[in-house]
Amino acid sequence: MIRLWFDKGTILLRGEVGTPYGKWDPRVDSYRIKAMHYGDVLAYLKESKLAFQDDVPNLPPIEHLNPTVELRSYQKEALDKWRQANMRGILVLPTAAGKTYVALKAISQLEKQTLIVVPTLDLIDQWRKRLSDHLNTEAGAVGGGENTVKMITVSTYDSAYLQAETLGNRFLLIVFDEVHHLASPSYMQIAEMYIAPYRMGLTATYERSDERHELLPRLVGDPVYTVGVEELAGEHLSPYTYEKIFVELTPEEQRAYDNNMATFRFYLREKGIVLRSPEDFQKFIMTTGRDRRAREALLSRNRALKIALNSEAKLRLLARQLEANRNEKTLIFTLHNDLVYAISHRFLIPAITYQTPKEERREILENFRKSEYKAIVTSQVLDEGVDVPDASAGYILSGTGSTREYIQRLGRLLRKVEGKRAKLVEIVSKETVEVGISRRRRHKKPMET
Amino acid sequence: MLPSELLAVWKRKGDIWPRYARATEDAMEVANSLIKAYRDHVGEKKSILKAFAAELEDEGHEYRFVRGLAYLLDRRSRFNCNDKISPVELRRRIFQETGKLGLATTLEKRKKITEIVASELKITSQTVDDFLYADLDNELVLEEFEPPTPDELLKEYNLSLTQTLLFDSTELSFTASGNWQRIFHTVKRLGLIYEVYKEGRIWVKIDGPASLFKLTRRYGTSTAKLLPAIIANPEWTIEAKILWRYTNEICNFKLESSKHHTLLKSPHQPIISFDSVVEQEFAEQFQALKTGWQLKREPEPVPAGKQVIIPDFSLEREGVKVYLEIVGFWTLEYLLRKMEKLRKVDANMLIVVNEDLACEKLADLGKNTRLNIIYYRNKVLLAPVLRYLEKASQGTRVAQKEFLKNLSVVFTEPIVEYEEFATRIGVPTEAVKAALAEKPPEEYIVMPSSLVRKDKLEQIKERIEKQMKPTGRLALPDAIRIIESEGVADATKSLETLGYKIVWRGINAEKAEITKP
Repeated sequence: MIRLWFDKGTILLRGEVGTPYGKWDPRVDSYRIKAMHYGDVLAYLKESKLAFQDDVPNLPPIEHLNPTVELRSYQKEALDKWRQANMRGILVLPTAAGKTYVALKAISQLEKQTLIVVPTLDLIDQWRKRLSDHLNTEAGAVGGGENTVKMITVSTYDSAYLQAETLGNRFLLIVFDEVHHLASPSYMQIAEMYIAPYRMGLTATYERSDERHELLPRLVGDPVYTVGVEELAGEHLSPYTYEKIFVELTPEEQRAYDNNMATFRFYLREKGIVLRSPEDFQKFIMTTGRDRRAREALLSRNRALKIALNSEAKLRLLARQLEANRNEKTLIFTLHNDLVYAISHRFLIPAITYQTPKEERREILENFRKSEYKAIVTSQVLDEGVDVPDASAGYILSGTGSTREYIQRLGRLLRKVEGKRAKLVEIVSKETVEVGISRRRRHKKPMET
Repeated sequence: MLPSELLAVWKRKGDIWPRYARATEDAMEVANSLIKAYRDHVGEKKSILKAFAAELEDEGHEYRFVRGLAYLLDRRSRFNCNDKISPVELRRRIFQETGKLGLATTLEKRKKITEIVASELKITSQTVDDFLYADLDNELVLEEFEPPTPDELLKEYNLSLTQTLLFDSTELSFTASGNWQRIFHTVKRLGLIYEVYKEGRIWVKIDGPASLFKLTRRYGTSTAKLLPAIIANPEWTIEAKILWRYTNEICNFKLESSKHHTLLKSPHQPIISFDSVVEQEFAEQFQALKTGWQLKREPEPVPAGKQVIIPDFSLEREGVKVYLEIVGFWTLEYLLRKMEKLRKVDANMLIVVNEDLACEKLADLGKNTRLNIIYYRNKVLLAPVLRYLEKASQGTRVAQKEFLKNLSVVFTEPIVEYEEFATRIGVPTEAVKAALAEKPPEEYIVMPSSLVRKDKLEQIKERIEKQMKPTGRLALPDAIRIIESEGVADATKSLETLGYKIVWRGINAEKAEITKP
């Protein structure tokens, strides 16, 4: 008789039959199949009317759910499209459009063992709270020191990747929150090493600048429903204003900036190096490992960028802005931790970075929610999906220049601002490379130097 | 293991290897000054150490080397936050105050807020400023440091470099001498898969389940963790395929104990300990008996299909080799699985099973296998083991004789040494000798250590005749010299065969002579 069983993120088949996707593994004298093809292999064996013993799944017990989720019309539409696509596929909805609720509804309708994969530890907490509030179930968690598997379990991408060997056969539905992460070379193995035949991907930003999102349909299913910010704005989401302010560097800053940039450009010209794309730049970085002068050129460039990003003139402008809008609840973003702490220290604003202890970060967010704190300054950590309560003003002081971050930072501000237009201000140094980064963020242009 | 951005390599024509730190004056100098900096700055901030490392970089030392060493020194350090004032608590107070009074958008406002908090906590405003973020990484204070010697540090660095390179490996093959048991335990624990093949020595190829589908670095981290277990042995060779992340090309990486042993920090090799008292007792009693069987603990792995078995002992005498495996606690399922594996072994294996600890009925066990099982209670009795060894050795001798008899070799060389011939065809010398003595090839004479062709003996005879004195005698040492110069070892037997007689004068061979027949 044919026997199937799970072996560390793959399926082994012993018996006198090959299957689609099966590959003979001489190391163990069996056919080996990627776990993601579990559903297809079962279908094939059934179709062929072959007797087989299936020892693959190792599922936690079913708990009955008490769902209290009501969907808006476009959320219902999204869910229908997903169900029509055999419960596989990606839903593209803007931030704050309630992607979570669509997933919660899907989970409660299907009532099968479910793994929800999220990018950060904060999102684990957030999902568990939602599951408790809306499905009346205490979900398990994998990641951040916890390791409990239940009918519904939430995990980080990292843990789902690292523990694929043992978790891969424990769920039938898998929900990828912020699914664009899944396309990275390591995380995509999560999709490959888990058996779940039912798959849902959620994102506000399906496209990646490296084009790897083209891999996602094979791993999760096609994008089955897409709705943009514009379509929902007005009806379901609050509109916002966007303003970009250019600031001139102080004369000393400008001089230092020019000098450093000249060193960098001189080196490039001398060596005939042209930097048109991030890949070109990656290659250039590699040469700095063996070439001292290349490294000095790179350091000069970094110094120049740092001057532009940390410009005193910008901080003065920020001070004026904060003063003028002192009643707004304010979020200040910058990718640079040094700048976060400089701003925190100078204006005595709570800071959140990757170094902030978890407890303190929770407390800061809580106090911000209660309006006891009026502002937060932060680097990347709040970038995705975490509920940051009702901020009405936002400032971007620097950035890496990808469309995704741009939309999601906007989205954060759009959340729950009632009856009032949120205000987003981007502060950019004039006549520096930063203008290029900032423009690229909106239009996806290649890098300029 | 280092952060991957600190990995420095050389790459040439598909080969890759880490830029190992050699004990040059320059490298020792960097190591030494860094260690000294850490030692001298106990009690001070981490940012000072970082600045010191940055200075070394600015002096022209390779930055990844400097940072790599600093990274390893950080791991030998304990950093702590100054505990006079809790920065978390201080921040909470400040931010609460800012919440009430508004953001510190002007210097005056900032001053006011800090002063309120300072007076409340009975510290100065300056202290507030200093301690606000005293728990950030750069602000932490070095409390304890365990200094290595520069040489140790460089070796640790080289080991870490190697492991960091292996993060990007898609497969690794190795061969080693020594503690295989430990290596295979580690392989299992790390969820890796191995395959064994023979290429001169026994080689083991390591990768993981999903390696079947595509090249993947997924098992690189586990492979890197396996490295110490391999290089803890006295001899080893490692070959790995590296999927170089920046260019996406496959590079070869090779490491050998003969060349690289002194470069790397050698992990502690635990002394081979016996798994059980039973094994230890058996080994001691067996050796006390002086049977001529050579007992070896944890011998080389024995291939079983594509897997291996590492028996507890090997016993060897006159080219007969028997492996012995002592099974203590077992279940029927375990034993069946073991037998499944043992069936694939092409070697003589004796299994000694504890009858008392047996969890299942033994009855069926011996029947459906061709395995050799002996049972024991409390301790392994030597008699049945020796009986088995005797049988094995007889069986082997008979089998070898049979083998040689059927082996039709045509010799062409004038002298055939038994030992050399035996190694060539892979049977014990004794067996070769016995078989050839029983049925010597034509044209050859059987000597104690070799076969000598008849015409070769004739040549020797001619030379002796020429040297003979008119008396028809020759000094024995001269005759032996002639024979040996022809490449024949068995002088006395040769003379005898040619019909010469040895005339002794006393017991001194120098004075002996040979005479014509």
